Amino acid sequence: MTDVVQDQSVIVDRSDEVERIAKKEAWRRRLPILPALLFTIIVTQIPFALSVFYSLTDWNIVSGVDREFIGFGNYGELFGSSLFRQAAWTTVVMTTASVLLSVFFGTLIAILLDRKFFGQGFVRTLLITPFLITPVVAGQTWSTSMLNPQFGVVNWLLERLGKDDPIQFAGQFPTWTIVAVLVWQWTPFMMLIILAGLQGQDPSVLEAARVDGANSRSIFFQITLPQLRPFLELGTLLGSIYLIQVFDHVEVITGGGPGSTNLPYFVFQRSIGGGWEFGQASAFSIVVVIATIIFATLGLRLLSSLLEE
Amino acid sequence: MATVTYDSASRIYPGTEKPAVNELKLDIGDGELLVLVGPSGSGKSTALRMLAGLEFVDKGSILIDDRDVTLTPPQDRDIAMVFQNYALYPNMTVAGNMGFALKQQGVSKEERAKRVMEAAKILDLEEYLDRKPKNLSGGQRQRVAMGRAIVRSPQVFLMDEPLSNLDAKLRVSTRTQLVDLQARLGVTTVYVTHDQVEAMTMGHRVAVLDHGVLQQVDTPRRLYSAPANLFVAGFIGSPAMNLIEADRSGDELHFGSSVVALPADVQADLKASSATRFVIGIRPEHLSNAGGGLNSNVTVVEELGSDAFVHATIQHGGGDVTIVVRIDGETTVSRGDNMPISIDGPVHIFEADSGKRLGTPPE
Amino acid sequence: MASSTTGPVVGENKVSGFIFGVIAWIVGLMFFFPIFWLVLNSFKTEEAANGDPVLFFTPTLEQYREVTASSTGLLSFGEAFFNSAWVVVVSTIIVMVLAIPAAYSLAIRPVEKWRDVLFFFISTKFLPIAAAILPLWILARDLGLLNTRLVLIILYTALNLPLAVWMLRSFFAEVPRELIEASQMDGASLMSQIRSVILPIVSPGIAATALLSFIFAWNEFFLAVQLNPVDGSTVPIWVTTAVTTRGLFLAKLSAASTLATLPVVLAGWAAQKRMIRGLALGAIK
Repeated sequence: MTDVVQDQSVIVDRSDEVERIAKKEAWRRRLPILPALLFTIIVTQIPFALSVFYSLTDWNIVSGVDREFIGFGNYGELFGSSLFRQAAWTTVVMTTASVLLSVFFGTLIAILLDRKFFGQGFVRTLLITPFLITPVVAGQTWSTSMLNPQFGVVNWLLERLGKDDPIQFAGQFPTWTIVAVLVWQWTPFMMLIILAGLQGQDPSVLEAARVDGANSRSIFFQITLPQLRPFLELGTLLGSIYLIQVFDHVEVITGGGPGSTNLPYFVFQRSIGGGWEFGQASAFSIVVVIATIIFATLGLRLLSSLLEE
Repeated sequence: MATVTYDSASRIYPGTEKPAVNELKLDIGDGELLVLVGPSGSGKSTALRMLAGLEFVDKGSILIDDRDVTLTPPQDRDIAMVFQNYALYPNMTVAGNMGFALKQQGVSKEERAKRVMEAAKILDLEEYLDRKPKNLSGGQRQRVAMGRAIVRSPQVFLMDEPLSNLDAKLRVSTRTQLVDLQARLGVTTVYVTHDQVEAMTMGHRVAVLDHGVLQQVDTPRRLYSAPANLFVAGFIGSPAMNLIEADRSGDELHFGSSVVALPADVQADLKASSATRFVIGIRPEHLSNAGGGLNSNVTVVEELGSDAFVHATIQHGGGDVTIVVRIDGETTVSRGDNMPISIDGPVHIFEADSGKRLGTPPE
Repeated sequence: MASSTTGPVVGENKVSGFIFGVIAWIVGLMFFFPIFWLVLNSFKTEEAANGDPVLFFTPTLEQYREVTASSTGLLSFGEAFFNSAWVVVVSTIIVMVLAIPAAYSLAIRPVEKWRDVLFFFISTKFLPIAAAILPLWILARDLGLLNTRLVLIILYTALNLPLAVWMLRSFFAEVPRELIEASQMDGASLMSQIRSVILPIVSPGIAATALLSFIFAWNEFFLAVQLNPVDGSTVPIWVTTAVTTRGLFLAKLSAASTLATLPVVLAGWAAQKRMIRGLALGAIK
């Protein structure tokens, strides 16, 4: 026993050395991230901080009156404004509808594509294309070639089917026309993410389920869908992030026309789009940020709880 | 060629209390093939990676040929390693994979080609030199991984379960080739495996680890015939040694209804021990069905041809205990039979709680 | 990852499999139809494009000639295309130069709290551009960057960097750890490890990420129109301003739209598989 005690006293303890090397190593590992991190912080956080500051001031850039600090005044005004409430509601409808519909259709199409058939790769290529189209081009194409009351294909078809007066899509249903174009563009994106999920499934699990006597329906709802959850979440998250910011489609399809002004477009209208009320517009934009965060987290929670049951 | 020394080397992962490898002391001789074996979590792979330089050494030192390499980066240790999944560079051909290390050393192109060819000849890889790893079978990939190691003629080979991704048949034949190759090249080799059969068949010496602590290092034969403690006794041998708990009654231990005959040194240790519970260890081949005082009831018979393993229950310590007995393959025994057995060979006695062996192990 | 298509199973009706295939084709063609129609219209005369829809007609390149012809005082196709190419290529290069080392750090030798860092990058995507446009506009004005290509280069880099880091991290994370350890054992220096071992494995992922970043930057309209509406305007601005004449303009608009969107469609087709894998893997690993 005494031998062991003596031995221990001569063991080199390198914990300090190891810690020193580990620290040096940790910095060497951190270094490559720093340029990207600094760039992102400077370009994204400074404008945001300035936005917060502006939102607490009364500042109209054309009136020539000096910027004045008014605390939360803009925010109070904002919730009293019916135009703001309208824009907020439009944002909620537009985002929720386009995210949910494109996830829904994306899932259906992904399931269709997840089986071997003639020309599978070609059909996938056809399907992905709408996502690649420049948003302003997509918006213009739909509002002219497709849905225009005079020379749009859809109205021409409806006329063949016996409907006499053409539908003024962008005029009568501005928000839903925009949603339709958004769903057309984002369904392919959702479809590809979900397809990646479907194809990453372990086939032996599906085989085991079949051997256990499950039919296709219960396999889908009890095995496939839960496994798809992270992919559905990812699609919802990325979709929400991009779709809550929609501006291009609004601009080219309705120009913010009757009831289709969402918050980003509203911020634009109130400031450089002609309003020049920078203080107020900043307050709107802060609300958009908060709404985005709430939206994305709520969407994720909702989806998770739905799938957990 | 080189010797390797682990001098009380410990690895404690950050955020953990218990060392993954605890004061490992090990001297590996020049040209020796030493196997590190143990269950998962025993620290065997960590110990190997410490020697490789892929893990820090928190305490103690590691020496290669009396040179302290504890703080030397892996690049400068002159060690080659074969990984479990081979870790072949997918974008390089077989020749590229094998010559990569030489290229790093700045060896000329002609010299590289020559040495790669020599290694390829040894491993039967000449016709595959221009292929990419994805176009090779599992066995061929394994040989390329070996080739990558031998082409460098390093001071030490490290092998981390290099056979575990092969199918059973290929594993056995590759095992033999590997032993032969190592003997021919005479390069000091540290080999990690969880498979005790692999450890026993390949190692000149085998080091058994459990929970980061070295349990015993010895020749395969000694490990089998004189396990230093209960863990080694249970880990080495297939089927495993029968380990039967027994309370002491005075200075005697009972196996079933009979008193176990103990050699004098064990007897002396038993007298000196303050423990009350012990474990009697008997290898299946040291139980005999040639008649004896203990009745057993046969439950399963595993026929291996040359011999058979009989699983049977005996009455012991007020309950049923299952034991395994090796019998001659010609004898017919079947389930439900009553088989009288007796002890016919050495018996190992361990303290149940400390796992300590009683008596001096035979030389 | 083996991409295993759930194939037909014993006992599954072959007819139903065929029907699913047909439905997939129909859905695919329906989704593609507006694009098909756009391209078709671009080869028509204005009269044909504005008349009743027809599939067969004598194609003409007249509209392409007209929209690409430059006229004084208006943003020409050539200028817009050059501006877009300049802004998009330079910003994509900067994105990759910044994102590749960051992704290496986050995946190959993960720093502590790498998840937090990754989340920070992604969280900047939560900031709607509309919310930052005012300070950006003011900063750009004060720094004399309004109506320059530089301001778009900086902002497109910031826009695409988070997604690029996210995607590249998942591609880098696919490099087996043992491979890097093996190269260390083989005596490779850090540079030669990166050059000979890591880059060959991740280069397809890098290409896909660069293409996605290219697509998003090329398609960007909001910042371009707010900060850069005069000189140095990009293709999306050109396409909304090129055809303003009332009356018959559909064929010309179609030709302009086709030209504007062609580069990104080609890039997207080339990158489709890896692009989505990179996005999807980020969620899982």
